[in-house]
Amino acid sequence: MFGRMIRGTLFRQWKKMLMIAFTIALGASLAAAMLSVMLDVGDKVNQELKTYGANIKVVPKAASVLSGLYEVEGDQSGAYLKEEDLGKIKTIFWTFNIVDYAPFTTVNAELDGGGTVKVVGSWFNHHIALPTGEELDAGIQSLRSWWDLKSGSWLNEQTDTDTKGAMVGTELAERLGLTVGSSIHVKGRAAEDTYTVRGIYDAGGDEDGQIYVQLNTAQALDGLEGKVDSIDVSALTTPDNELAERAAKDPKSLTVAQYELWYCTAYASSICWQIQEAIPDSIASPVRQVADSEGEILNKTQLLMILITILSLIGAALGICNLVTASVMERSQEIGLMKAIGAYNGSVSLLVLTEVFITAVIGGIAGFFAGFGFAQIIGHSVFGSAISLRPMVIPIVAVLVFIVTMIGCIPAIRMLLRLRPTEVLHGK
Amino acid sequence: MSLLELKNVYKIYGELHALDDVNLKVEKGEWVSIMGPSGSGKSTMMNIIGCMDKPTKGEVLLDGVDISKESSKSLTTIRRDKIGLIFQQFHLVNYLTAVENVMLAQYYHSIPDEKEALEALERVGLADRAKHLPSQLSGGEQQRVCVARALINYPEIVLADEPTGNLDEANEEIVVDLFHKLHDDGTTLIVVTHDPEVAEVAQRQLVLRNGKIAKEVVNQNFTGKIRFTDQ
Amino acid sequence: MKKKRMFVRMISASLLRRRSRMIVALLSIAIGATILSGLVSIYYDVPRQLGAEFRNYGANMILTGRDGRFTAGDMAAGKAVIDPKELVGAAPYRYENVRIRENPVVAAGTDAEQAKAASPYWLIDSGEWFSRSGEMLIGAKVADSFRLKAGDKIEVSFTPDDQKQAAVKNEAVEDNVKEFTVSGILKTGGTEEEYIYMSMGDLEGLTGRSDLTDVAELSISATSDKLKEYTERIDQAVPAIHASLVKRVTASETTVLSKLQALVLLVTVIVLALTMICVATTMTAVVAERRKEIGLRKAIGASDSSIIKEFMGESMLLGLLGGIVGSVLGYVFAQQVSVRVFSSSISFRPLLVPITIAVSIIVTGLSSLMPIRSATDIDPALVLKGE
Repeated sequence: MFGRMIRGTLFRQWKKMLMIAFTIALGASLAAAMLSVMLDVGDKVNQELKTYGANIKVVPKAASVLSGLYEVEGDQSGAYLKEEDLGKIKTIFWTFNIVDYAPFTTVNAELDGGGTVKVVGSWFNHHIALPTGEELDAGIQSLRSWWDLKSGSWLNEQTDTDTKGAMVGTELAERLGLTVGSSIHVKGRAAEDTYTVRGIYDAGGDEDGQIYVQLNTAQALDGLEGKVDSIDVSALTTPDNELAERAAKDPKSLTVAQYELWYCTAYASSICWQIQEAIPDSIASPVRQVADSEGEILNKTQLLMILITILSLIGAALGICNLVTASVMERSQEIGLMKAIGAYNGSVSLLVLTEVFITAVIGGIAGFFAGFGFAQIIGHSVFGSAISLRPMVIPIVAVLVFIVTMIGCIPAIRMLLRLRPTEVLHGK
Repeated sequence: MSLLELKNVYKIYGELHALDDVNLKVEKGEWVSIMGPSGSGKSTMMNIIGCMDKPTKGEVLLDGVDISKESSKSLTTIRRDKIGLIFQQFHLVNYLTAVENVMLAQYYHSIPDEKEALEALERVGLADRAKHLPSQLSGGEQQRVCVARALINYPEIVLADEPTGNLDEANEEIVVDLFHKLHDDGTTLIVVTHDPEVAEVAQRQLVLRNGKIAKEVVNQNFTGKIRFTDQ
Repeated sequence: MKKKRMFVRMISASLLRRRSRMIVALLSIAIGATILSGLVSIYYDVPRQLGAEFRNYGANMILTGRDGRFTAGDMAAGKAVIDPKELVGAAPYRYENVRIRENPVVAAGTDAEQAKAASPYWLIDSGEWFSRSGEMLIGAKVADSFRLKAGDKIEVSFTPDDQKQAAVKNEAVEDNVKEFTVSGILKTGGTEEEYIYMSMGDLEGLTGRSDLTDVAELSISATSDKLKEYTERIDQAVPAIHASLVKRVTASETTVLSKLQALVLLVTVIVLALTMICVATTMTAVVAERRKEIGLRKAIGASDSSIIKEFMGESMLLGLLGGIVGSVLGYVFAQQVSVRVFSSSISFRPLLVPITIAVSIIVTGLSSLMPIRSATDIDPALVLKGE
């Protein structure tokens, strides 16, 4: 009979129940959408902030400060990183957080008309096949997203037919009157070479006076085969906290538990540490301009989203509460009747709660999917990628809807319990 | 000319003939009661007379106007101007005080006048309860507020639907006494009821059965002022 | 006149005597209005606030001399073009080759306060910024190679141009020498770690030549279009200097900031839409509950239009009250968010108050209109029968 009564309400009063279900669905969708976006916004914004370029720089341990400063000619004492070690960056614990990286070998070469120019060898769109089976395209085309290609095209190791292509900065191109297709002859310590200009870029910085060529091409110029003088790494990182800062200074100062926590969190400092472990004789350090700012912006965006989420959760909760209260109160007459024919308070409350609960389940499920849909709209239109479904959203929304609906029933049920059948039946 | 005249009125719901060729004349000042078992068509007739429903077929002349042809909007106007309604369930607006409920009818009719509304309450013996909310009044008192509300615009006809259905005997008497008073003042009264005691005091009783007027009894012992002995 | 009074009396009776129901409705409208005014305030303030956060990336405009170096006067003239409200920091730098323990090092003279403002990401690993004459900040790599730490004293020497001639001729060289205290170690992860920093005055004292600037780094809180315009105006106004944008910072800022704004906009739109629907369903429920009363009024003789007028009047009054409460709460909320997230207060937008109130009146009005209309459409007789 109980089931029959419930069915009776749900089917015969379906319009009212539909309205409750609809409001619960609205609230649940709001909660689901905001929670999904909030939980994913860190990753998404992190991804976006990658346009600022590398946040970690790896240099050889023995690199001399002075050579870096003065470009001292003939300084061969500076140690180099080995090109063969490059793949090891993708073997560290946080390998999936390494979005992109590129090695650099810089050579000071002589130009035909006198004067020197920096020839930088790097990866443009280099295909890496790791022993683990993972494949990755890495290089400066994405690492230097702010470079403006004025004419020509980017170099591309995968499609270029020869290795003598070069990209030159606008400043140099202007000075030497270079256009796409023209040749440029340079002389290094070990060899001389003629490059064909394939692209002219505007970087808005020092690079505008340099020549970029494929890594091996630049190495050959100075006889630096297999040697790399720095690596730029772009990694998704967790904003630094006090632990990370302490660890960055000296990982040995941490307790074992702290070390574990630090090592297993994607702080810039722990990723640096892991890169140093992977690549012999290297020093990896966060580029503070990028890493620090990233952290600030990520934290702020997340906090902003959390507060907006809280506001909308409160809004959704009160909205559901209100409607449940209003619509249960509306049925005072029917419930007075039930009491008149002998229903106990307990059984009346149970009936109302069950009805509302079933409605809430239906509305909640519908709302969850709708909300996830809204999250996808946000994900696709803002970040151009899907918002991933975090499993934790499901229990949060479920618990929230359950609690809120039940709270919404409390005032109504209190009223129902106080109700005296005679009052209801005799026209209040 | 009669105040109200029903000519061959039918009200048909699908197969069901709620009213089946009903003819009725009510004169000004008359007190008529309509009786009948559930489903006999009482409520349908009441709704049609009260301008809340239109017949399927036939004419309903109120003051010479055929209301069966009017639009629902002008029905509202006619109802407002000519008819005072009293319900079994009282139907007071629960957040308005007794006097405000009476004023509500004035408001929709013309201009609210608190003094006049208070006088109306005085006539039903509720002058001291004017500022009370319906929830603070007993059933009988609520029904008396309804009576006051029904009278406030001096309607041509007061139409009462089971006015004593929710009242105990003491209150029933008070309401019936009020009807006597109204009648003495010259108000036309139509009372739908299935309480024989309430029906008997009227000047004329109609008994409906299956949508037809099955019996018509003229009260020989009628004590009211106005008599239509020739009916 | 009397009629109007009765109208007011009825509405106020309905609002006051049906208090619990009205509070339910009012609460729901107020929440809607709070979310509306709060989110819109945040939406309008976020670009400004986030823009300020992006200044953490440091300078986005560089001033260089057209022919070598420029003067402090030139820089001031260039700075004057920029709206002072938008200028976060403007740090001049003068670079000179100096020597520490006979090893060449680049010394930069700058203004500590401005450098801090223009490059907020600089980390002083130990010690602090130089604040007095005779103090210097040294890059981490310099500190490493010379094994220096904060508090150490070291001599810095500079060879003036005339003495360089002497060096060429193998004559005795008379260097300018000054002892500096290392005030702190600078960490940036970039080339700055290879320099030493001191005040402009100290560098001028050391070199014996004053009023020279190589480069000025400006951090300006403005859109990339505005920045472009500034560079053009600076180039025109001050012939001695050339302004250029730091593309890496400006281009990336435009990309990221526009995404973040789009994010906040979409979130605002979706939250608002859902909230407004929520308010509408609550209002619908609140009005639908009163079908019986509407039927009664009709039976007593109320015309449809007067019923709509009364109920709408009531709803709109609720909308007004809810809107007022919501505007206040929304501002409080936006203020809280702003203080917590960006630690700066939000600007009060007076226009938002009437807009919030208008929207809540419209939403409550429209959402009540439907159920009122459907209630007036039904037969009063049916309602009164208690069906």
